[in-house]
Formats: sequence, C-alpha cells, structure tokens
Amino acid sequence: MKALGLSKDQIKKIGLSSMGMVFLVYVYFTFFLGPLNRSRNTMLATMDDVQNKLSSSKGELAKAVTLENQAKAATTRFAALKALNPEGAPIAWFPPRIKLFFANEQIDKAVARLENSVPFKEPELADWMRYNWMINIPQADYSALGKAIADLENAEPLLSITKLAIRALPEQGQSQAVDIVATNFIPKK
Amino acid sequence: MAIHLNLLHEEIRQQRERQRDPLKIGMMVLIVFGAILFCYYMFNAYRTLEIKAKLSAVQRQWVKVEPNVTAAQKRSAELTEIIKTTRVLEDYIEDRFFWAPFLEKVSRCVAPNTQLTNIEGGVEGNTQEGTRKVALLIEGVAAGREPRAAAEDLRQMLVEQLGQSYRDVKIEFKTLEDLDTLISVGGTNTAMAHYILTVNFNPKAPLKPAAAPPTDRGSKKR
Repeated sequence: MKALGLSKDQIKKIGLSSMGMVFLVYVYFTFFLGPLNRSRNTMLATMDDVQNKLSSSKGELAKAVTLENQAKAATTRFAALKALNPEGAPIAWFPPRIKLFFANEQIDKAVARLENSVPFKEPELADWMRYNWMINIPQADYSALGKAIADLENAEPLLSITKLAIRALPEQGQSQAVDIVATNFIPKK
Repeated sequence: MAIHLNLLHEEIRQQRERQRDPLKIGMMVLIVFGAILFCYYMFNAYRTLEIKAKLSAVQRQWVKVEPNVTAAQKRSAELTEIIKTTRVLEDYIEDRFFWAPFLEKVSRCVAPNTQLTNIEGGVEGNTQEGTRKVALLIEGVAAGREPRAAAEDLRQMLVEQLGQSYRDVKIEFKTLEDLDTLISVGGTNTAMAHYILTVNFNPKAPLKPAAAPPTDRGSKKR
C-alpha cells in the first residue's frame, strides 16, 4: 500500500469501503435476489406441474369417455345382478322368496335357514358377501324337484348349490326329502 | 521560459486529496454497484411477475378443468371397479355346477329293477387351484335274478352318461351286498342287492378327442 502512496487513513477508508461492498453484496443476495429467485423457481415448478396436469387431463377425459363406452355392457350387467337382490337384510327376504319359488314349482313347505355369511377374499368383491343357506324340502317328487332346481339355477345366477342330499321317504315311495346347501352373493348394504 | 508561482498550492493539494478520498470513491463505487444490482433485481422481479401472471392464467385454466378431471378420474375408477367386479361375478356364475342336468342324467340311468334311496354330495375344491370336483354317494337297491349285475349295469350307465358331460368321471362301489329279503317284481320273487356308489368327477366339459392327422394327398380314401 505504501508503494501506492496511500496514507494510513486512506487504507482505513479503503478497508471500510471494502467492508461496505461485502455487506452490500451479502444483503443483496440473501435478502433480495435469493428469495426472488427461490420464489420464481417455485412458481416455475408449480407451473410445470399444473401444465402437466392440464395436458394429462385431456387424456383422462378421453380415457373416461372411452371407458364409459366400453363398460356399457358391464355396467348394465352389474346393475342387473345388483337388482336381483332387493333392499333390506337378506334374512328378511331370502327365505320367503325361496318358499314362494318352490311353492310355484308345486313343492310345498320349503324352508330356508341362514347358515352363515362370510366376506369374499377377492378384493374385487369387497362390497359383496357370501350367504350360505340351508334349504329343507320335506317332501318332493323327483321330476318336480329336478325342474325346480333347473328353474332356480336359471332364475338366480348369483346362487349356486354347493351340496345336495335327496333321501327317499320309506313310507311314501314316490317322494323324497331334500336338503340343499346354497350360496348366494349379495351386495353389502 | 516564464516562471509560474503557485501561491495556492496548499489549497490545491487539499482539494486533490479531497477528490482522491478513498471513502468518497468507495461510496461512489458502492452507489454505482448498488444501482447495477438494483437494475438486475428489477429485471428479475419483472421476469418473476411475468411468470406469476402466466402461473395465474394456468391455474385459472386448471381450476376450470379440475372438477371435470376429478369427476372423470372418479368415474374411471368406478367403471374399472365395476368391470372387474362384473368379471369376477361372471366367472363365478360360469363356474357354477348345475345340478338339474346331473339329476336328469341320473334319472335316465335308473332301470325299473333298480331304486335309488339316497343321493348325497356336493361341490368341493377350488376352480382357481384346479381342485374343483363333484363328489357324491348314491345309495340304492337292485333287484333281479342277478341283482349285483343290475347294480353293475347302473354303475356302467352312470359312467357312460356322466362321461358325456363331465371330465374324469370315476364311479366305484363302496358297498355291494346281497340282501336276504326277496321282492316281487312283475309277480316273480327276485333277490335284492344293496349298493353304495361313490361318484367323483370334474364338472368341466370333457375334452374333445384330438383331430385325426391330415391324410396324405396320394393316399386313397376307403
């Protein structure tokens, strides 16, 4: 510094000016430009995100329309299957329905009892329950029983007979006693 | 050469010193640098405001579209679930074992000299695991000069009839024993046999026999 011909006082002033410069730069980047850039970067990221959403939304809308068209048959079928089961607790409507069904098939005194109800393991059927019923028919003719079972299997697609026992009644040669274990799929209420 | 006398050299030196004051120069540099930084900041602030305006426009657009997109996504998820559920339900419906055709086939096999007293059984196993089968016990009596042969005829008829509709049909006698009592069939006293048949089969339709290999062009048909 002495080579430049600067006095002590001048060196002090230069030091003070340098400190002022450093302070200015620090304040500028920390409190002004830094937050501004951060804010801008955040806005740019948000804009990219929203623009991506906007561009993908067109695809989503188109996909939904296509799926709606493709799923027409499935939705109709699903609604039809759901409509097979009336509202209310199954124990309230299933036994009378079975009794009436067999009565219409000329088989009297059919009694349906609920054995148990269990949920499905399949995740697709999380909203459905499997109801197991025991149907006792004290007396039935074999051919009438066969016809009734055929009609039941055709009329109730969600019902499947898992066990069947037909015993001849010794005192009535043409009649049989029948026990049917049937499983019915019913949506959860 | 004329001689110049500087009588104010003290004042001029002080004035020069004041002009060369490092603090003053530093302040000026700071002000200039600060002005440059301020301009740069303003430029950046303008760009940021521009981006903010664009972002607001895009967000307004998104706000308009979002309810439709959310509804579409929800509907898509709902439809996908319905399709999957319907598919699984259809699989269950298709995989049901229909008892009526089975009972009809059994009734066709029963000759006048045989009687069924008990049919009991059910569907076992799981379709997905390939273990699904129908297992039954058929109990009855057969009458005739050879009651055991009548019972065997019934067994063979069942094998033949059920084999037309089901796979892996296996029917065996669990019990076949002569009874001491005689029964009158058409006015003739005949012997009786009691039998229990175990019936097992896969409810799937039987496999069709493989097609015959194509014949050579040169060979003659007979």
